[in-house]
Amino acid sequence: MKEHVITICNGTACINKDVRGLQNILEEQLVKLDLQDKVKINVSGCLGMCDKGPVMIVYPGYTIYGGVTEKDITEILQEHIINKRPISRLAIQEDNLFNRFFRIFGDTKFFGRQMRIALRNCGIIDPENIDDYIALRGYEALAKILTDMTAQDVIDEVKKSGLRGRGGGGFPTGTKWQFTADQINDQKYVICNADEGDPGAFMDRSAIEGDPHTILEGMIIGGYAIGANKGIIYIRAEYPLAIKRLEKALADAEAHCLLGKNILGSNFDFDIEIRLGAGAFVCGEETALIRSIEGRRGMPKPRPPYPSVSGLFGFPTLINNVETWANVPVVILDGGSWFSTVGTEKSKGTKVFALAGMVNNTGLIEVPMGTTLREIIYDIGGGLPNGKQLKAIQTGGPSGGCLPAEYLDTPIDYESLAKAGSIMGSGGMIVMNEDVCMVDVARFFIEFTQSESCGKCTPCREGTKRMYEILTRIIEGKGMPGDIEKLERLGSMTQKASLCGLGQSAPNPVLSTIKNFREEYEEHINEKKCRAGVCKALLNYVITEKCIGCGACKRVCPVDAIDGNKKQMHHIDNDKCIRCGMCMNTCKFGAIIKS
Amino acid sequence: MQDTITITINGKEYKVKAGQTIMQAADSLGFHIPRLCYHPKLSIEGACRVCIVEVEGMKNFVASCAFPINNGIKIKTNTAQLRRARRDIVELILDNHPQDCHICERDGNCELQHLAYTMGIRKKHFEGQKKNYDLDLSSASVIRDPNKCILCGRCVRMCTEIQGVSAIDYANRGFDTVVMPAYNQPLGESVCSHCGQCINICPTAAFVEKNYTQELFEKLDDESIIKVVQVAPAVRAAIGEAFGLEPGRNMEHETAAALRKLGFNYVFDTQFSADLTIMEEASEFLERVQGKGKLPLITSCCPGWINCAEKFYPEMLENISTSKSPMSMMSPLLKTYFAQKQKIDPEKIFCVAVMPCTAKKCESERPEHTVNDMRATDLVITTRELAWMIKSAGIDFVNIAGEAYDKPCGMSSGAATIFGVTGGVMEAAVRTAYELYTGETMTEIELEDIRGLQGIKEGQLTLEGQEIRIAVAHGLGNAHKLLKIVKQEPDKYHFIEIMACPGGCIGGGGQPYPSENLIPLDQNLLNTRAKALYESDRKNTIRRSHENPEVQRLYREFLKRPLSDKSHELLHTHYKAKQPQGIVSHMLNNLQNGK
Amino acid sequence: MTTPLETLRKKRAESVNRILQKGYLANTRVYVGMATCEIAAGSKDVMEVFQNAISTGKVKDVYLSQKGCAGRCNLEPTVEVVEAGKNPIKYGKVTKERAWDIITKHIINGEVIEEWVIE
Repeated sequence: MKEHVITICNGTACINKDVRGLQNILEEQLVKLDLQDKVKINVSGCLGMCDKGPVMIVYPGYTIYGGVTEKDITEILQEHIINKRPISRLAIQEDNLFNRFFRIFGDTKFFGRQMRIALRNCGIIDPENIDDYIALRGYEALAKILTDMTAQDVIDEVKKSGLRGRGGGGFPTGTKWQFTADQINDQKYVICNADEGDPGAFMDRSAIEGDPHTILEGMIIGGYAIGANKGIIYIRAEYPLAIKRLEKALADAEAHCLLGKNILGSNFDFDIEIRLGAGAFVCGEETALIRSIEGRRGMPKPRPPYPSVSGLFGFPTLINNVETWANVPVVILDGGSWFSTVGTEKSKGTKVFALAGMVNNTGLIEVPMGTTLREIIYDIGGGLPNGKQLKAIQTGGPSGGCLPAEYLDTPIDYESLAKAGSIMGSGGMIVMNEDVCMVDVARFFIEFTQSESCGKCTPCREGTKRMYEILTRIIEGKGMPGDIEKLERLGSMTQKASLCGLGQSAPNPVLSTIKNFREEYEEHINEKKCRAGVCKALLNYVITEKCIGCGACKRVCPVDAIDGNKKQMHHIDNDKCIRCGMCMNTCKFGAIIKS
Repeated sequence: MQDTITITINGKEYKVKAGQTIMQAADSLGFHIPRLCYHPKLSIEGACRVCIVEVEGMKNFVASCAFPINNGIKIKTNTAQLRRARRDIVELILDNHPQDCHICERDGNCELQHLAYTMGIRKKHFEGQKKNYDLDLSSASVIRDPNKCILCGRCVRMCTEIQGVSAIDYANRGFDTVVMPAYNQPLGESVCSHCGQCINICPTAAFVEKNYTQELFEKLDDESIIKVVQVAPAVRAAIGEAFGLEPGRNMEHETAAALRKLGFNYVFDTQFSADLTIMEEASEFLERVQGKGKLPLITSCCPGWINCAEKFYPEMLENISTSKSPMSMMSPLLKTYFAQKQKIDPEKIFCVAVMPCTAKKCESERPEHTVNDMRATDLVITTRELAWMIKSAGIDFVNIAGEAYDKPCGMSSGAATIFGVTGGVMEAAVRTAYELYTGETMTEIELEDIRGLQGIKEGQLTLEGQEIRIAVAHGLGNAHKLLKIVKQEPDKYHFIEIMACPGGCIGGGGQPYPSENLIPLDQNLLNTRAKALYESDRKNTIRRSHENPEVQRLYREFLKRPLSDKSHELLHTHYKAKQPQGIVSHMLNNLQNGK
Repeated sequence: MTTPLETLRKKRAESVNRILQKGYLANTRVYVGMATCEIAAGSKDVMEVFQNAISTGKVKDVYLSQKGCAGRCNLEPTVEVVEAGKNPIKYGKVTKERAWDIITKHIINGEVIEEWVIE
């Protein structure tokens, strides 16, 4: 273990100020001063202190040095590292809410590339102890708005931040708040959408389990801004721990006068209750979610009217997703202007992703908008295991698109992903290597969406089912010429004509794999071949000349598909073969291969 | 807000009233956008997606039934890509539909069939798995065929929003979505009131009445029995529509003639027993007004309402008149009074009723309606079934010469005729009650206050200084509203008429399907049917039930007087609270299984 | 009148106080990941080991707390050891046995077990 870590910010602003040149000098100096064994150098993503760059942080102690010059480097090494005397002249006091994460996590590659705003407290505080949250400036944003901000001030701050809905749609949050605030009605509602249904997604669960109070604080701020006194968290019943922590957080907040009547001695009242979802994927769609809270079958409803005008029980309703709410206290406390310095021109702030699939470091990450897929997969994710080649990246959950390796340098933001043919979605990201069959992938996702369709609108209910059937027959070797065109026709119709986001996005995996991997579909249909060797029906096992005729394969074959005399090369009858693969596993000589 | 705005449809500008949906505006300009799940009386679902249009600036198609117009909106209703999408959507519905049109009850009168034709579907591209469910034959009145259901949800909304019964709703997800009673219990054991409005509103044959036409043809061919039939008032006001005649043509005498041609030995008029109902019910009302029994008195002629009351209002059963419905008064009289008069063995009489109603089928099966251990009404057919039988028997209904009804049960007053329209029973009862109570003949007998299609109507009259407040509700949803008022203010009304179907019997669940350019429950259509009955009343020389000489004779010769012992034996009944067995047994099962 | 901000500052002072009273300034702080995913990977057992070590007096001057998920799915359960003046150490795939080793080797003897450290 090295004694010190120096984290160097590699955000765009710092790079423009030649932070890389400084890094070279630092490395030279380390050698010169013989400190290589004591100091580890780490590179991080943007640390959010762009106007003070170049920035580096020295651990332990979390001393931030800003505006570092070539000359300063020697001084830092000499004074801070060798003499253990941090240099106060160079140190900057930055208390942005998000950056405390790096005091603990800034020294590894996985975390260093990240920027944690929504998840700023996750993995740091005890989520069941409100003191931990308050000690880290929790509820200060709430106190601030109650002290000296009007409702419109709050909305303006959110607008200024450029924050957009993190549930997938990317609608500007401030605008949504404004719409709801503009409605004149004594009764309004604030809803937190925590009905996370994407298979393999756990962004919301982790956020709630790791830091429940930030969600509550965000919602109370939202209620103040739009003039609502009632909040509801709609969370799936399959998240018992998250629910338990939310309940604890609600009780604690109320005991501390942060929720309920006259919050913090002000004249603002706000209550929050929890409603449990029964596990329907479609209830993540806002109108279906609202219906579900009303006690009806969760089915989407045409918009307009939007919930901001006519939502829960017909009253104006502000509904945002967990991650959006978690960003709100930071927007208020660090200011909309600061928040808008993070990210790209149109997509501000950060996005949480559940990085999964064939990548070394799977996990939950939060990166600034504009980070490229390459940075996520290779820098944070540590690349693909076993030296496999990247084939595709699927973003956006079951209704996202599959992008091929050519898109690795696509920056993550709403527009770029849409342009590439995928979606931001709620933040699923699956890395696939060459062992994956893209037709099979498309079928996997459409199988999920078609079974989770609410069944209300025709394109989604019937269209996705037919797409699933066509994909199944292609996989089973019964694909016909014209099937690709049928998929495209059904897919684009379902996209354009479906009632809600579920149907409109359900064809994405199919259409994007056809667009980017059309030749694989053609091989399946025309040559009855699956290049990844995934589709069993298209697989043939062949015995090669390595066969010594031991007969082991013949004995294990459950359907007597293998024939051959002792000590002579055996053969597989592909009409009888059921592609179970037992022969190949049994052969000690590697004589049986898939073709 | 501006009153008139400019919109562009298919490249041409129009000035239209603001505040409409695209579909409404297009309709007013003569653009008929195809549609399926839309109905003006029901909430907007946007489910079928057939009515999609293009709106400039929108990425996807929008459902014109739901999307509001705004100034400057540019709409396209018939582009090639829209036509293809609509065609594909309708094909997707068809692909999962039995397609047995030539053996289907709604052949030639099916909205899906018509739509498929207008979409120009000549070839199918996406066929695959089809749904396969058992028919639900459990109800005495309504058959549920989920295979023919296209999930437009009109029945669900009808049953919930208009009728307030909620006997059916969507269940399951995606391709497996079905409309069913709670817990998939049989319809016959559900809260269903048998009103049959689901049949009226269904675009296909997913709901049809229990059809007895084949049995009836068999009976009509049986010379060993005496075939006797009665016809309800509302039948004559609507049956012409089934033969392409203009709505509102009164086919009273043509119906009698056709029934004789079909082979009935005697053709009677339910209006005769409607007069009798008034005699009994008005007398009962006067008794209650004088302190013998509960007020308000609620009418009992509607079997849909009675089913509803037994399931939803067990605590109000004593308020309901014990008088049987006209149908169930007629049949026992035919098997006693008429049989004695004609010296016929009552066992040989086969009593048929032609009703605008499906719930009458259920009423005829009630065990409490037997007479001398015989079933009173042996068979009930709807207006639709009779129309089909007339066609099937090759009777030229349009050009047939009218005939009179048979005696002694064929003569009726105008008061009996208006039984078929909402408010009519009340109006008829008031005409008679007034005279029975005061001894004076009522002169202003057309009670405009309780006429028309307003959901709940109120009126009042004075009986020797006592103010009598009356109320009328049609459609069970309105009945629920009215009874809620009664529960809050039990003394508010003295006498209440409830009809389960919108418009009363003229809008009954057994009436002819609307012709091509009309929609179910069309308000003008209902008004025209009502007009036919009111005109018939006006033309009648006898307009008060107690003036009907045949009724007077019946009392003189047989019943003695209203509410006599004989009357009680034959013309009165009792009610029993009924738990919807399906739900009860489901809950019991769950209890036993420890859930 | 006190403003909400002043009220909150007072609350914060109280919160910090309570945390300090719980022994936050101990020489060693140990955090065990206790989100659903971590618990599923076995972090409850790990937590128990540390709790026992503290309650039996095996280790002294240790502040133990749970924390949420830090996102290292493939390395859960995670345990973090923070010693005053040193870089925090995060261990991955901690089992009951590893937890015990962390106590005896790292917390008691100050030897970091490099093999299990998350880099």
